[in-house]
Amino acid sequence: MKRKKDSSQTLILAIIIITALVAAIPYAFLRNYRNEQSEKKVSIIFISKRLDAENDFWSAMVEGINMAASEYDIDVLLMGPESESEHELQNQMIEKAIAMKPDAIALVPSDYSVTVPYAKKIEAAGIKLILMDSVMEEDLGLCVVATDNFEGGRKMGEYLKKYAEENSAIGIVAQSPSSSTAIDRESGVRSGLDEYEDHIKEVVYCYSESDKAYEVTLEMLERTPEINMIVGLNEDSAVGAARAIKDAGLPQKIRLIGFDSSMEQVQLLEEGVFDAIVVQRPLNMGYLGIKAAYQTVMNETVEAKIDSGSELITKDTIYTKENEKLLFPFNQ
Amino acid sequence: MTIMGERKKSLRGRMILSFLLIVVIAVVSFMIISINRSSSTIKETSVDYTLQLIELMNENIDFYIENMENISQIVIYNSDVRKYLTADSDADVDEYLSKVEEQFEILKDTRKDIYNIGVLGMNGRYLINDRSVEMNAYVKWDTLEWYSKAIKDRETVYSSHVQNIVYKEYPWVVTLSKVIKDPFSDEIIGVFFVDLNYRAISDLAEEINLGQKGYVYIVNDAGEIVYHPKQQLIYSGLWEEELMPDEQKEADISSWESDTKLYTASKSEMTGWTVVGVTDLDEMLSSTDDIISMYYLLAVILIGAAMLLSVLLTDKITLPLRRLQKSMQEVETGNFAVDLSGAESKDEIGDLIRSFQIMIQEIENLIERNNIEQEEKRKSELNALQAQINPHFLYNTLDSIIWMAEDGNTKDVVLMTSALAKLLRKSISNQNELVTVTEELEYTRSYLTIQKMRYKGKLKYSIDVEPVIADMEIIKLIVQPLVENAIYHGIKYKDGIGTIIIEAVYREKEIVIKVIDDGYGMSEEQLAHIFDKHEINGRKYGVGIHNVHKRIQLYYGEEYGLSFISKIGQGTIASIHLPVRTGGQDET
Repeated sequence: MKRKKDSSQTLILAIIIITALVAAIPYAFLRNYRNEQSEKKVSIIFISKRLDAENDFWSAMVEGINMAASEYDIDVLLMGPESESEHELQNQMIEKAIAMKPDAIALVPSDYSVTVPYAKKIEAAGIKLILMDSVMEEDLGLCVVATDNFEGGRKMGEYLKKYAEENSAIGIVAQSPSSSTAIDRESGVRSGLDEYEDHIKEVVYCYSESDKAYEVTLEMLERTPEINMIVGLNEDSAVGAARAIKDAGLPQKIRLIGFDSSMEQVQLLEEGVFDAIVVQRPLNMGYLGIKAAYQTVMNETVEAKIDSGSELITKDTIYTKENEKLLFPFNQ
Repeated sequence: MTIMGERKKSLRGRMILSFLLIVVIAVVSFMIISINRSSSTIKETSVDYTLQLIELMNENIDFYIENMENISQIVIYNSDVRKYLTADSDADVDEYLSKVEEQFEILKDTRKDIYNIGVLGMNGRYLINDRSVEMNAYVKWDTLEWYSKAIKDRETVYSSHVQNIVYKEYPWVVTLSKVIKDPFSDEIIGVFFVDLNYRAISDLAEEINLGQKGYVYIVNDAGEIVYHPKQQLIYSGLWEEELMPDEQKEADISSWESDTKLYTASKSEMTGWTVVGVTDLDEMLSSTDDIISMYYLLAVILIGAAMLLSVLLTDKITLPLRRLQKSMQEVETGNFAVDLSGAESKDEIGDLIRSFQIMIQEIENLIERNNIEQEEKRKSELNALQAQINPHFLYNTLDSIIWMAEDGNTKDVVLMTSALAKLLRKSISNQNELVTVTEELEYTRSYLTIQKMRYKGKLKYSIDVEPVIADMEIIKLIVQPLVENAIYHGIKYKDGIGTIIIEAVYREKEIVIKVIDDGYGMSEEQLAHIFDKHEINGRKYGVGIHNVHKRIQLYYGEEYGLSFISKIGQGTIASIHLPVRTGGQDET
């Protein structure tokens, strides 16, 4: 009797222990599974046209990318040549990125046409493609996150309109007649000027060289001395024009407005050579680009065009809380 | 292991169910309480931990500011500085400038995170770090907030901003500014400022690890952001920050929650800055996920163990009961040979089983005693039935012997007397109930011998036995009463010679002994009452037949016994049907 009782108690104990062990096994697997799951984050490769920590614009964009990556818990790999002109190198990087099979690729196309077939390869590989900053001659990608250049141009036009008078004569220094950004910004300027649009006397091109911009500005002023308002449509155009005006001693006479915000431009704005500059928001561009890429991976609907925004800054608004961060990204 | 297998509500099923119910309720409520407790504990721990970090950070900031404060004390009460700002001659100015320059150099060397030290005189004299530093010509001093505020409020800690007073330099700094007064006239003669590299503070904030998604931000008294990792996103409306609820503003230590974040804040009296630690709730509670899954597992194990235990325990209770039930059913059908050994335990059910066993034993004893009594009763009945030799026959035979002796017919006297002796010996002395067919018929022959002599030529008989059955055993004294019956009711009333034929044959596994006479025969009515006792004119004619039939049935069973065929004027055939019993199969 007694012995039987003991044996049934050990049996119960054995069954409990076995149950515990058996139950522990799937738990161990479950933990592994969970770890694997958490390791399997969304992976996005960002391929810039220029990956340069020294450059404020591109490093601010990377900062925005990192913010989005930590917010959405994404693995972001950064790629890109050191210089904007290395189209072939970027194409090689695109192929390398495709081979890594990320969930999405956020691409800043290096060239308007050379990059096209490689961008198509990304889409052919079934990888979600998001374009950032620039577009290409073919409409590719699920979404473009860039500064709305027309809107940026319009801000410049509207600013000039406030000071425009009957005798105002306007000159435009653009980077190139075929550049899409230049075209969009110019039409933005024209739209902003509204009834003063016909005061635009001349449009000159610098082909993205500030020295050339300097020359063409001086030439323009010689040809058409009545010009008292100048618009520089990108950094090179604006800086070249500003130097020319400064050297010609005309800052008081000519109201200059430029695009982008290099340190030199900010100094020239503080000096009063520039009356205003329109700056892009590269950090927002990086943040919104990765966010959009993440959303496409999650199969959420994303607008085809996302404006990362631009801001018009005058001498008086350089040091406002909002603009300080934009103009002086601290990465020293 | 079917728990609910039985259709009827079994005790076992109900017990298991109620066990389980109790355990499940207990485990689930335990789990809910534990999980709630653990997530609130985690929040509390997180607030404590975050608070420790941000208080430490505040202390560090205070330390920096205190350091700047000390520097400013040294500078504004320094007579060389005042003399530099107020000196009249160029030589004096130059002399004091050098002294101040020296002092600034020493001060700057003490701390690497000091970006600029400067004095700006109301008269336009200035020194920033050293005399080689060129001032930004496009900046008017009174447009600088830290400058104008210092003049207004005597001193100010100006939160993070871009310092643009030096030409071509735009560092992010935190500026402490104070007015310098003439000790005699109490007149403001200048403003002192020191710039702390903003890195010193942003690095502090960035170093604090509050998880993958956690971060720290700092706001000043006015609610302006001093540091926020997503400052730009906030300014462009891409990021929203839950600010401190008003009711918390007075508290030194506060903590509040949004949908996704847990905020912990600590305010420094020295700077007026509030450091806020932000922890992602999901991330923080992801560790509770582990705990929760552990609790779930524990619950599953507990419930599983409880299930097993309840099945085992219930079985321990109900299994003996089920055995008892089965045994009872067996007993119901008459089988008392139930084995309940091993089912007893030292509990109530054990008692029940023991009582049941005693009861069965008692019933068995009773039945056995009853059987014995029945057997004895039957035996005595049999004895009583077989012992009866007709006294008339004895008397008549003895009478016949007397007559024969008087006649001197000694030969016949001897014959008859020896036959009678044989007869008597067999019927009285032989205690054995069974005899062979041959023996039984020999006995009958003795009887017939006597009767034949008595009826002198009126009776003829023959006895015929099949050899197969000659040695088979039957109960004794069953043929003679039939012969007696045949003589007294058949032959006696017949005119002329009567014949009795006895045949013993084997028919279909039965021994059939026929006593055939060609006597008077019986009417249908007589036949119908042949087995009845006490009949016909007070004489016990039926007693013999009745006894034989009764004995056969008592001994062999209802299906055996006597049968008669008879016709008035033709005779009677009496048949005895007996089963074939091979040796040793006796009941008694």
